[in-house]
Amino acid sequence: MLFPTATFAIFFMIVLPLSWLLMPRGERWRPFIVAASFVFYSAWDWRFVFLLAVSVVWNHVFAHAIHRNATARSKGLLVAALAGNVALLGYFKYYDFFVSSTHNLFALAGVDVPLEVRGIVLPVGISFFTFMGIAYVVDVYRGDFEPVSLSKFAAYLSFFPHLVAGPIVRPGELIPQLETPRDPRYVDTARAFFLIGTGLFMKVVISNHLASSIVDDVFGAPNQHSSLEVLVGVYAYAVQIYADFFGYTSMAIGLALLLGFRFPQNFDSPYAAVSIQDFWRRWHMTLSRWLRDYVYIPLGGNRGGRLLTYRNLMLTMLIGGLWHGAGWTFVAWGAIHGAALASERWWHERPGFVERPSTPLRRAWQRFATFHVVCFAWIFFRSDSFADAWEIIVRLFTAWGEPSPLVTGGVLAAMAVGIGSQYLPTRFPLGLMARFSRLPVPAQAVVLSVALLGTHTLGPEGVAPFIYFQF
Amino acid sequence: MTSEPHPRRRRPREQRGEGGRRLHSAGSAIVVSLLALLVGVLLNAPGIRKSAHIQPEGWKRDLALALTGPLEDVSHALLLDRPREGLKAALGRSDDDEIDTAVALPEEPPATTPNQPAAPPPRTKFTRERPLRLWIAGDSLVVVPGESILRAVASNRSVEAVGGIDGRIASGLERPDIFNWFTHIRKVMRKEKPHAVVLMFGGNDDHGFMTGLPEGVEIGSFGSSSWTAEYRRRVAGIMDTVSRSAFLVWIGLPITRDGEQTRRYDTINAIVAAAAARRPGRVAYLDTYFFFAGANGSYAQYISDDSGKLVKMRAEDGVHFERPAGDLIADKVLALLGKRFELASSRTR
Repeated sequence: MLFPTATFAIFFMIVLPLSWLLMPRGERWRPFIVAASFVFYSAWDWRFVFLLAVSVVWNHVFAHAIHRNATARSKGLLVAALAGNVALLGYFKYYDFFVSSTHNLFALAGVDVPLEVRGIVLPVGISFFTFMGIAYVVDVYRGDFEPVSLSKFAAYLSFFPHLVAGPIVRPGELIPQLETPRDPRYVDTARAFFLIGTGLFMKVVISNHLASSIVDDVFGAPNQHSSLEVLVGVYAYAVQIYADFFGYTSMAIGLALLLGFRFPQNFDSPYAAVSIQDFWRRWHMTLSRWLRDYVYIPLGGNRGGRLLTYRNLMLTMLIGGLWHGAGWTFVAWGAIHGAALASERWWHERPGFVERPSTPLRRAWQRFATFHVVCFAWIFFRSDSFADAWEIIVRLFTAWGEPSPLVTGGVLAAMAVGIGSQYLPTRFPLGLMARFSRLPVPAQAVVLSVALLGTHTLGPEGVAPFIYFQF
Repeated sequence: MTSEPHPRRRRPREQRGEGGRRLHSAGSAIVVSLLALLVGVLLNAPGIRKSAHIQPEGWKRDLALALTGPLEDVSHALLLDRPREGLKAALGRSDDDEIDTAVALPEEPPATTPNQPAAPPPRTKFTRERPLRLWIAGDSLVVVPGESILRAVASNRSVEAVGGIDGRIASGLERPDIFNWFTHIRKVMRKEKPHAVVLMFGGNDDHGFMTGLPEGVEIGSFGSSSWTAEYRRRVAGIMDTVSRSAFLVWIGLPITRDGEQTRRYDTINAIVAAAAARRPGRVAYLDTYFFFAGANGSYAQYISDDSGKLVKMRAEDGVHFERPAGDLIADKVLALLGKRFELASSRTR
């Protein structure tokens, strides 16, 4: 059930009033929202509902067990809880990848390993709810959080706005909101509608247009295209994946807001970043925080000296890469980011380094360089294999001057909107939202319906799945 | 969330959010959402009507059609469909909302039966100066093999791809309302004048619902004699439309993870293979079934290559292809084209 579909609109228009009606009575609201979320999830494949249920029960049982045994046994229980989560993710997401990789490694030496791939189907959203489950048991283990009832935890883990592609909401951010009824008198509707509207536009118009107009063609057969087309295709993919994922999470945050719940921000103008470290403070922010708190810091963070810090950065980004997909190109994507983060750190920590004052020209150069490192990494992220990525890179330099029919005004305009929106001053959207909020109800409805008209008319026919659903 | 109801308090004068925006009640959120959707549906009525029309057969489609029909009438009566019409016209996409179910096919020429083997036509030579114009089209299954074909011919200047890869998701020969291939193929053949065409259809045709039936014709369930006759007519019509001026390679459907689906694909493949066999020298059918079967003849997502390396051939959905599968099909397609055409030696661009 994709957000930008009529089916979801009907689903949401049933859930929204019922949710507010039941809101004052938590013992009724929670089973309702859990049931609604399971119905939402079952729209992909009803069998995976059991998987979600297993994840809920597993993490709930272990969180309580860890809390009750807050001494010697709790570490063992934590390890068991994490092992369960990792096993679930490992089986569904990585089993075939590791079996085929192991098989092929031994095949190089002429050894036939009797392991069979199983063609396992990846359940949508498994990476997201598994990470949230891990965050819950670790926070309980650390004493940051007391375990809650099964219905509250089930509502936290399965809440449909974040269920299939995030944002990855921490227990401390959402569970307290589930403990007290949301106040029906004060809903930030202007922000909610703004987020839903911009998210819809970015996904349906910008992302879909770039994918169908240039990105799929260029990455499908790079040697059929000129260097200019390949260059613009790589930039266009950077905008497409941003518009796609930003669009999804904006809609998720907006929908949650209409239901009375606040989710953390997931993007903050990532292509305006002045360094890779800055990029990761702005791109998929909830994943960055998760990786920092549950991987980088437990690995030792920056507490073990320079070399260990570089190692930890690298390992964290390699895990981040692998989280995105079971493939070596994703690992390479993580490695590029890890290497860039470690290099930046080395540069700033080298003896005699003096931070030069920031000037507009200097910032522009830093943004340009950062954007290009990010785009270079996206080549591996989008390519099916290293050979394909290499083909793109080679083509970037070897076919200048050839005709470039894919570089159209529409493609450039979509890219300009996707990147330009990240350089808008904050006061601009804030002003729009404030003005919208002061409109009478019928006028708000008219504005939104005109926005729907624009989005529905400008977008290509059909709705492509969100890129991040496959992760 | 506690079990206690939210205490009733007086609403303070006004509560403002970040940037001075006014907060509204949940009731207001519901009313605005409902009104916006209602007006939005009226403004987009022609597009929504088309979306309802192109859904798969079933109660959802029936319900959607029953609801969107009156909505479209109201929208039209109130002139609320005009802004969309204007916008579409400005974008040059006026026919987006049209539902075109016309199945226009050439009259079937007298068939050349396979037991009367025709002399193989001479191999036509193409050069850099006069390249072979190649068009690749079909449903979503054609995209990956199409990309592989384009990559394989990229260094050969005696082959020129026309129109990239014309792959249309969810389309096929059963539902011209989703995408009318019968009209589109005629247009492309007339405009682009390709010498060779690679088609792949049928991935979405494994059910018993067809639109664009001739008047008075009704069809039975998938695979019934009436269904088969109509599907055969459409396949033959496409083959004749293309093969009048170009050599056609039709890629057959592969084995899939779902056994039932594979059996349905077999039915489609049998119709296509038979129709191709009736057009020797003009149409070649490429059977892909066994390329992707495992050692025991059943579906396999990974297949060992010559070096013993496991290669992922099929996508997660158990139907679509991964790149190595596309490369395998491309090799076979190019071999078929090579039998029919003489292409000047490759030269790196």
